[in-house]
Amino acid sequence: MQRQDQIDDDFGQGVRRARVTGVFIGLAVLLVVFAVANLCIGSLTVPLQDLGAILTGHDTESTYYQVIWNIRLPRLIAAGLLGGALALAGFLLQTFFNNPIAGPYILGISSGAKLVVALMMIVVVGNAGVMTSGMLILAAFVGSMIAMIFVLLVSRRINSMSMLIVAGVMIGYICSAATDFLITFASDANIVNLKNWSLGSFSGINWSDIGLMTVVVLASSGAVFLLSKPMGAFQLGEQYARSMGVNIRLFRIALILLSSLLAACVTAFAGPISFVGIAVPHLVKRFLATSKPLVVVPAAFLGGGIFCLFCDLIARSVFAPTEVSISAVTAIFGAPVVIAILLHRQKRVEQ
Amino acid sequence: MSAEFVLETKDLTVGYDGTALINGVNIEVKAGKIVTLIGPNGAGKSTILKTIAGHLEKVGGAVYLSGRPFEKLTAHDVSLELSVMLTERLRTELLTCADVVETGRYPYTGRLGILSDDDREKVREAMEMVHVWDLRARDFMQLSDGQRQRIMLARAICQEPRTIMLDEPTNYLDIHYQIELLNVLRHLVSTRGVGVIMSLHELPLARKVSDHIICVKGDSIVAQGPPEEIFTPAVIDELYDLEPGTFDPVSGNIELDPLPS
Repeated sequence: MQRQDQIDDDFGQGVRRARVTGVFIGLAVLLVVFAVANLCIGSLTVPLQDLGAILTGHDTESTYYQVIWNIRLPRLIAAGLLGGALALAGFLLQTFFNNPIAGPYILGISSGAKLVVALMMIVVVGNAGVMTSGMLILAAFVGSMIAMIFVLLVSRRINSMSMLIVAGVMIGYICSAATDFLITFASDANIVNLKNWSLGSFSGINWSDIGLMTVVVLASSGAVFLLSKPMGAFQLGEQYARSMGVNIRLFRIALILLSSLLAACVTAFAGPISFVGIAVPHLVKRFLATSKPLVVVPAAFLGGGIFCLFCDLIARSVFAPTEVSISAVTAIFGAPVVIAILLHRQKRVEQ
Repeated sequence: MSAEFVLETKDLTVGYDGTALINGVNIEVKAGKIVTLIGPNGAGKSTILKTIAGHLEKVGGAVYLSGRPFEKLTAHDVSLELSVMLTERLRTELLTCADVVETGRYPYTGRLGILSDDDREKVREAMEMVHVWDLRARDFMQLSDGQRQRIMLARAICQEPRTIMLDEPTNYLDIHYQIELLNVLRHLVSTRGVGVIMSLHELPLARKVSDHIICVKGDSIVAQGPPEEIFTPAVIDELYDLEPGTFDPVSGNIELDPLPS
């Protein structure tokens, strides 16, 4: 034990471990605070002291019970899981492209998913069918992969960080425009929902969606965590990673599939949500004072969940009863972080 | 170790996109010996090294690591045979020097890459050998180029391969650290029996430190042999297209053209 302490000390591990522990405790506290706030606050305020009884399944007859169990709890779980998924998708893309402002929204991957989901909804619902959660995720995955392939093709031809982002934004615009056309011409009453969804929203998520969403998000996030080691090697560049024994081909395929799947899952249920994928990993790295994936991955997942809980609370309560789109709120808090990253990088280049 | 050479190439042809650049590359590195590639800028020294390391697709011929053909080895096998120190500048984000060196233990750690106490000891040994232990808690990006170069050498050492490959290791280093780095390499080679293959620009240093010199120019290897055979005016003038008498490869002395009066 003495030896362990000695070694820890030599590497400054003691300090670092304390910092990481502190960040995780902070994240856990924030998660609980925002979860409770999300459950209690709304058009109907649920008193804090009743919450325990409602959540443990007592007091089943009250309106509070109905509101919490049918509306707020599934929405809370979705916001938490999908926020975590977005943050991880962003972190994967930043690692892959070695670009700090890469993310599923800015690279057009969310918009690609949106386009195919909208297309599929119109076809299926137009023929009096019902979209299941599985179909939603599948359609979104196909869309995000198509957009991803475009981005990859562009990134092969040009080797500039900013051009990659510009290309991604353009792909995003094209997909969004195409989606708008579809929505405009599909005047079916069933498609009114589409409009809200295509702007990004956690509203209307119910328990039937939660099951599959949980499985997909947790399974892919677990897989991302298991990729922590090669991601750490990849941070030194492809050539060093290869010389350490990373199978680069397999690793790249895994990164692409996982980031697309995570982004697709978010878009399938909540539409495209901006900036979470960039802002959260960045903030988490600053707080942890390290970019080691082993700690960044779980912290980014928690942080993404918290960020989306916070933004969703604002989206539905500030202008109540009108709901703002979630993307509008995440942009207000996320975009300044991106600007900060750019300014910081510029300063470093000038030095 | 049964094989005679830790690293060997047979009629290796290197180039880009299947187009041959240099033919007939035959290199043999023994355990405990230093082999150095010299030659003019753009002669293809880096291309040869990158091809041996598998970063570039070879055009023809074969590479053997400890007697085993490269193609038969997994990425993990290769990582136990060969570690690299590249010349490209590395950009990291929020990583300490110890973090960077620790990545050298990658082949030895488990699925999550958590270092054991023994791994940490090796990291420490490597950092002390290169005299960068004091820098361990510093952010890698805040170091000077020379310090970073030494960190990357420590990283390559703690990977504990049979061969270490260094591409222009003395780039960015002043003469003090150039000499120190080469001393570290000599120490490493004599105490651990590691084989070293590297490219160098500084001819006097190459002559002092190497057991074997390989001259790369144009589309082939124009000469190779022990330093005393290579560092003769005839070979060096030919290799670098020098006017006879303008450079003494043994003393490193140069003669400039007289100024017009």
